[in-house]
Amino acid sequence: MDQSIEQAAGSPSAADGGSFFGIPYGWPLIVAIIALILVMWMAREPLRRVVWQMFFITGRVFGRWGLWLTEHGRNARNTCNEKIAAFRADELQDRMLVLEDRMGRRAEKLAKETGPVIARLDKSTHQLATAATELTDINLEDAAERAFRAALPSMESGRGLNKLEKNFAQSTARAMNERLVPVRPALQIIKAEAPRVRELADKLNKTQNEFNQSVDEVNKTFTEFEMIMRSEDRSKIAARASIVIPWLIAVLITAIALSGVFLNFFLIERPMSEIVGEGARIGGIGLPTFAAIIVIFLEFVAGVVLMDAAGFTRLIPAFHTMSDRSRKIMFGVAFAFLALFSVLEMTLSIVREQIIEQDQQTRDLANSALLGPAPAPAATPEAAPDATAPTGEAAVAAEEGLALSTVAQLILAGIIPWLLAAAALPLETIVRNSVFMLSIVGSFLMLMAAFICKTLAVAFKNVGLFALTVYDAIIFAPLWVERRVKGTVRNRGSGGGNASSEPDDTLVLDRKSANQPQKEPKRDRDREKSREPELQKA
Amino acid sequence: MIGRSLFGLGTALALAALSGCGLVTSTNRSVFFVFDVSGTYVKAVPDAAKLANITIADLQPGDWVGASQISACSFSEKEIILQRQLPTTPSLAATAKRELFQAFNTYAAGVKTAKFTDIRGALAQAAFELKQRPEAERFIVLFSDMVADYGKSCDTSGIKLDLTGVHVIAANVIKTNPGDPEKYFALLKEWEAQVVAAGGTWSLVSSPDQLPKLVNGV
Repeated sequence: MDQSIEQAAGSPSAADGGSFFGIPYGWPLIVAIIALILVMWMAREPLRRVVWQMFFITGRVFGRWGLWLTEHGRNARNTCNEKIAAFRADELQDRMLVLEDRMGRRAEKLAKETGPVIARLDKSTHQLATAATELTDINLEDAAERAFRAALPSMESGRGLNKLEKNFAQSTARAMNERLVPVRPALQIIKAEAPRVRELADKLNKTQNEFNQSVDEVNKTFTEFEMIMRSEDRSKIAARASIVIPWLIAVLITAIALSGVFLNFFLIERPMSEIVGEGARIGGIGLPTFAAIIVIFLEFVAGVVLMDAAGFTRLIPAFHTMSDRSRKIMFGVAFAFLALFSVLEMTLSIVREQIIEQDQQTRDLANSALLGPAPAPAATPEAAPDATAPTGEAAVAAEEGLALSTVAQLILAGIIPWLLAAAALPLETIVRNSVFMLSIVGSFLMLMAAFICKTLAVAFKNVGLFALTVYDAIIFAPLWVERRVKGTVRNRGSGGGNASSEPDDTLVLDRKSANQPQKEPKRDRDREKSREPELQKA
Repeated sequence: MIGRSLFGLGTALALAALSGCGLVTSTNRSVFFVFDVSGTYVKAVPDAAKLANITIADLQPGDWVGASQISACSFSEKEIILQRQLPTTPSLAATAKRELFQAFNTYAAGVKTAKFTDIRGALAQAAFELKQRPEAERFIVLFSDMVADYGKSCDTSGIKLDLTGVHVIAANVIKTNPGDPEKYFALLKEWEAQVVAAGGTWSLVSSPDQLPKLVNGV
């Protein structure tokens, strides 16, 4: 048995000096090898074709797949970039519209705001001008001269120097006082109006700054919008728009909201059996569970409609074209539905408590009968003493605890539908960005597959070449003889010539004729073709 | 109330539509309790009724409950104590369960002894009742010492039983002869073989908490 295995494996046998696949070593084996080489030489053309078919055609198929995948992967990426850029442009357009709207409203208010300010400024300026005129009208020299002249008669009557000085001083003071009396209100006006003017000027300055800021913002947005619309480098534009971070934030918020959904589910699952009954299963899910899931979905849908109608999200396309009045109606309807769901859940939470209590009492009744004495026939279950029932203060504490837990359930049941509605807010980001991310990942996967296919194509081709080289190396001797013989015959026929330029030289694997024009690789030709529309565009 | 009725009606219509598609299946079970009232076991009937009560306490809304007794000639409608389907809503089901407790307690308090023990006839009667039920899971809970004693006028020892799809549970099987455990185990093995031969499955329950778990799977 061992011997036969060794023979089959081609290992030398100890009995007869060894053999190779049943052929004894020595002359028989040499003859067999020579025969095999001759057979291989004779069969070289069909076998070459087989090898060619196996490796080169397969490699070419992989190469084509690689090209196809590369092209489609790039196209997918370009399409995705285009979509991201378009979305970003839409976002900016919306932002510009919002800013424009805000500026329009502000401009409407501006007339009301600046009108009184300007009127006050005008009044203050007028008062200041009047006061200034009055101040300029004061001629102190003339007043002093008049005072001096007025004092002259008294100088003549009284000749004393002291008296003279006194008269001068008194007359001058009186005259100056008389002149300064009308000036004082003007000074008061200046004192009062100057800070007010400054304040009004500040206010106007602030308004101007606000406007400048809004204008800057609009300009910035418009510049970016312009760049998106005009830029040829779509990947750069797409890279500027953040996708992953908003998506992660949205997923986090939705995950938190989903935990609320689970809570809600467990809250309403049991009492739903009171409405829809138990005992049936739909697709392997219990009917109350199914009903609870449906209620949660309906709440979520109502929340999505509410948020879309309120203008917070843009998930439902119908709302984009809807009039304001219709949207308000939809908002009211969604709000009413959510309120109803809230009430429904609150009711269910009370029912839940009752069901749990009844079940517990029923079990207690059965268990107490098992633990206690044998039942009396006349005793009704309601009248039967409950062995497990708490008494006195414990009973009161238990009831209070139950009441508190019911209140807590009521609050939860009332809040959760509204929280579910809020979960619709990040949904838009998740849906939109998930599509972008899937597109990007898809394009990268295609490019990766293209790389693998191209690598396989090259590997197949080279393995094929290697196989052919090995094949030729094995049949080298007969090939050499054939070449010599053919060379001699040709030399005789044509009177000489270069043997190396013979077209049927079987030693050469793939040699292209020097006379044929050198074609560029097909891949490059494809690239040139794909570039043509771009060049035409340029 | 109107809203609840409308919701219920809508659900019923939806269920009817889904049933047509084969998407809706039932999870309800039917449980048939059989009490042995022969001379040796009649004293254990109140305890058996308690076990039946704790089993019923854990049944789901929509489940069906039946009960009969093993007497001299058990294959008879006269031996049936009660048959009732629990309502599908939990609150009504809880009320129905309490009524069943009351019924079993009343029965256990006023049970009368029988001269013979026609277990096979009782099994045939229970299987017959269960076959008419649409529930997928069917149980016969036997409260007996499993010692058959057939009268001459009603010998059902030779009848062929059909317990296909029925799970037979022997509960509270008291030992009639404590000095001969081998006979007790041989008796149980014999009954198990008979039940299995009739196409049913067999379980023996020794402690009270096992029975609800076995029937309700909780």
